[in-house]
Amino acid sequence: MLKSLVPAGRGSVATSVALIGAILLFALYAANFSPGIFAITLLSGLLRAMLLFLVAAGLSLIFGLMDILNFAQGGYFMLGAYITFDIVHPDAGVIPFGGFISDPTLRFAFAIMVATLVGAALGYVLERGLLRPLYKRALFQLVLTFGVSIILLEVVKFLWGPSPYSWTVRLPIQEAQFRIFDTPFSTYRLFVIAMGLLLMAGVTVLLRRTRIGIIIRAGVQDPEMVSALGINVRAVFTLVFTLGCALAAFGGGVAVPFLGATNSLGSTFLLASIAVIVLGGLGSFEGTAVGSVVVGLGWAAMEQFSARPEIGTVLASMSPMLLLALVLLLRPKGLFGEDR
Amino acid sequence: MAQNRLTRFLRSEWIYIVSSVLLVLFPHIVGWMTDSSPFGVQRGTRYIMSGSAVYWMSILIDIFALSVLVMSYNLMFGFTGVISFGHAMFFGLGGYLLGIVTQMTGLPPDIAFIAGVALVIVVSAVLGLGIGFATLRLRGVYFAIFTLAVSEMVLIYFGRWAVTGGEDGFALSTIPVWIDAAQSRINLYYVSLALFAGTFVFIRRLVNSPAGAVFKAIRENEMRAQAIGFNTLRFKLLSITIASVLGGLAGIIHALLAKKIGPEMLNVSHTVDALLMTIIGGVGTFTGPILGASGLTLADVLLREATVSIGSLTIDIGDSWLLILGLIFVLVVLIFPFGIVGTWNRLRMRFTRR
Amino acid sequence: MTPILETRSLTKAFGGLVAVNDVSIQVEEGSTHAVIGPNGAGKTTLFNLLCGNFKPTSGRVFYRGQDITNVPLHQRAHLGIGRSFQIINLFPNLTVLENVRLAAQALGHDNFRIFRRASTIVSYVARAAEALEIVGLQGQASVPASVLPHGGKRKLELAILLAADPKLLLLDEPTAGMASEQVPELMQIIERVRSLGGRTIVIVEHNMNVVMNACDRITVMNLGQVLAEGTPAEIGANKQVQDVYLGELYDLPGAHA
Repeated sequence: MLKSLVPAGRGSVATSVALIGAILLFALYAANFSPGIFAITLLSGLLRAMLLFLVAAGLSLIFGLMDILNFAQGGYFMLGAYITFDIVHPDAGVIPFGGFISDPTLRFAFAIMVATLVGAALGYVLERGLLRPLYKRALFQLVLTFGVSIILLEVVKFLWGPSPYSWTVRLPIQEAQFRIFDTPFSTYRLFVIAMGLLLMAGVTVLLRRTRIGIIIRAGVQDPEMVSALGINVRAVFTLVFTLGCALAAFGGGVAVPFLGATNSLGSTFLLASIAVIVLGGLGSFEGTAVGSVVVGLGWAAMEQFSARPEIGTVLASMSPMLLLALVLLLRPKGLFGEDR
Repeated sequence: MAQNRLTRFLRSEWIYIVSSVLLVLFPHIVGWMTDSSPFGVQRGTRYIMSGSAVYWMSILIDIFALSVLVMSYNLMFGFTGVISFGHAMFFGLGGYLLGIVTQMTGLPPDIAFIAGVALVIVVSAVLGLGIGFATLRLRGVYFAIFTLAVSEMVLIYFGRWAVTGGEDGFALSTIPVWIDAAQSRINLYYVSLALFAGTFVFIRRLVNSPAGAVFKAIRENEMRAQAIGFNTLRFKLLSITIASVLGGLAGIIHALLAKKIGPEMLNVSHTVDALLMTIIGGVGTFTGPILGASGLTLADVLLREATVSIGSLTIDIGDSWLLILGLIFVLVVLIFPFGIVGTWNRLRMRFTRR
Repeated sequence: MTPILETRSLTKAFGGLVAVNDVSIQVEEGSTHAVIGPNGAGKTTLFNLLCGNFKPTSGRVFYRGQDITNVPLHQRAHLGIGRSFQIINLFPNLTVLENVRLAAQALGHDNFRIFRRASTIVSYVARAAEALEIVGLQGQASVPASVLPHGGKRKLELAILLAADPKLLLLDEPTAGMASEQVPELMQIIERVRSLGGRTIVIVEHNMNVVMNACDRITVMNLGQVLAEGTPAEIGANKQVQDVYLGELYDLPGAHA
């Protein structure tokens, strides 16, 4: 079908602002009107938003381009987290070569690199080996990505066992803290937020300014047109899939120092990212960026809210699903959605 | 004329009739062959459930429960083209709701049991209908997403809920004697056989009915089905509601046999089972789900305890069961997409056309 | 007399692209009305608005004087509006008979009977068989629709439409993709349907011989707007139509008169 070539109108901007406003009010209430806790909640929300963006960007582009919702995307995030954890913690690990680098910061950087490469390689394998033979059978593609998500989860359980790990190696970049309203916040988290914003800008530039980015955007608009222009759409699919999975694995690697390595990372980040792309409008990249911020803030606010003893931690574990359910019920066409 | 009809019926349905008779006699045949009683061993007024006949009945009860789950999934996925990633939720809720009513309301066992079954039916139907209503107007993938999200929530909730024992779950002990797996397993066997056979007949009739024709039309081309005048939303809701209720009933049977209810009943593995067995058996076929479910249960029984050694690495099959299922799943989707029955039908069609 | 179908200022925009722009047409009952125009003129979008597949951005659609703008796709079939598709749009793994029987069943009252075999409800089977006979597919009733050759699929498309017995037929390029020697056969079928009477046909067609000979009125669309409307003779003689569009693309029988 023909799709919009113009950016989202004023209505969706107004709705986004209203939505973020409502979430900020909720966060303020959840923080018991303490400015320090409120500020920390916002920062945690932004941090979540950046991590979500790393998973959701690939999810959204893959969906827009190939019409596949990749249910395995969360698995790549989880795998990235475990690989990074393992390399940095040589005594607890399965992967043997982590111990060669003695400096923990260097080891951490190396670990993230390995995780990203593994994510890219597995993304490539999934697209080329498993999804490409099924391009004519959309139902089976969806079912297959679900199967792969189960495999990734079970591989992680097989290699690292079912229990969660928490990060114990202290990195110098983690030790630094700063205080807002007398509440401490790790500088590393701020660094992740900054990096996330940088990546967001980077991907935007890639999509807007480079030839391949323009092809990708055109493909999201109308894949048939792109192939009619003599461009190898299949190669573009593979590239985007590989990059998307690499980004997700990278996100997991960056997140593991403060989230720890647990096997629920995959499903929570998958579901929250789906909330992001549904809210942002399926296939809209700007929507993904805005959606990440909205869902990230909402998630952090819910976690803060569930810190109250009368609410309980069940709410914290269920918040990604609750957010997704809310988005699907209230705004299924998304903020930047198109009726298709 | 009447006789003609009968012979026609016998000719087309003989395999089902023979199978039914065999399944009805099964406990006694196994009992006779292994020289054990299908009623267990009597100790005073009680029976101890031991012996080969009782063991084999348990396996068949498992097969019946799983078959009902897979048939219900196939009704949605195979015949209506709707994908759910949360069917385990109905299976688990079947067990949990029955357990909650029988163990925690203090009603007399018989009444509690009936009330529990009724509650399972109502809640499954309402939940399936509700999820469908909220998402089926939108793109198909929303239903898959929403079922996954809701089933994850239900799993987390029951895993933490102190009333139902959290991660440990709770035992199903106050069950009416006539259907208690520890007292009269043969009755449970016949009840599950009835549910299994009833589900099979019902789904066959349903799919061959005018409503079933619309299900298939939706699977093939939903927009066209609307264009010729069908309100497809209603038919999808019908299919999903029936599948949800049957999923809940399958969970009841599973819980009655295990006599224990825990979060593992809500685990995504049951969704994987349903999907995998539907595809291995044959998507959109009547007997495929049963073949798939039987194969899986038997493989489970035979291989759970086994280990495989590759060099110095020893893999415990029971521990990596879901991993193996996942790998088989991906392979089957890629190289054997029509499943056993689907492939068989295709081969047969090719030969008869020649 | 009220026209059977009328649109008033119908507009459909996809984001910044206006596919149908302020289109007002009237179709008289019992007539055969052609919509022509170059690719991308908005003909198929117009059909999607008429049959209810799209909601218009603005403007209204009337059927027998009744405002049906907000009536959903499946209910328009019940009003007597039937639509065929430019691209093959069947139920590929169902048999030819099942494809047509579904259309016959759709408007009846047995859709939610779940304990009766669909193949034993005689009236629908009979109606389906009748429709298959009109298009000449009675010999292939039991094969899956997907194995029919392209021409057969186009005929099946028509049979599905006829089985529902609509009063208003919206035919979107019924001969699309057919080899030119097969076209007359299909046009004969349409002609037969027309001669049975009581039906109104709106047709998108590229074959100008067909349009000029078989239609009562012609609407010419270009860039989403109505360029001209009139009888075949008027359109053939319309200088604007000729200059802007027809003369370049088609060898118009009336154009050189």
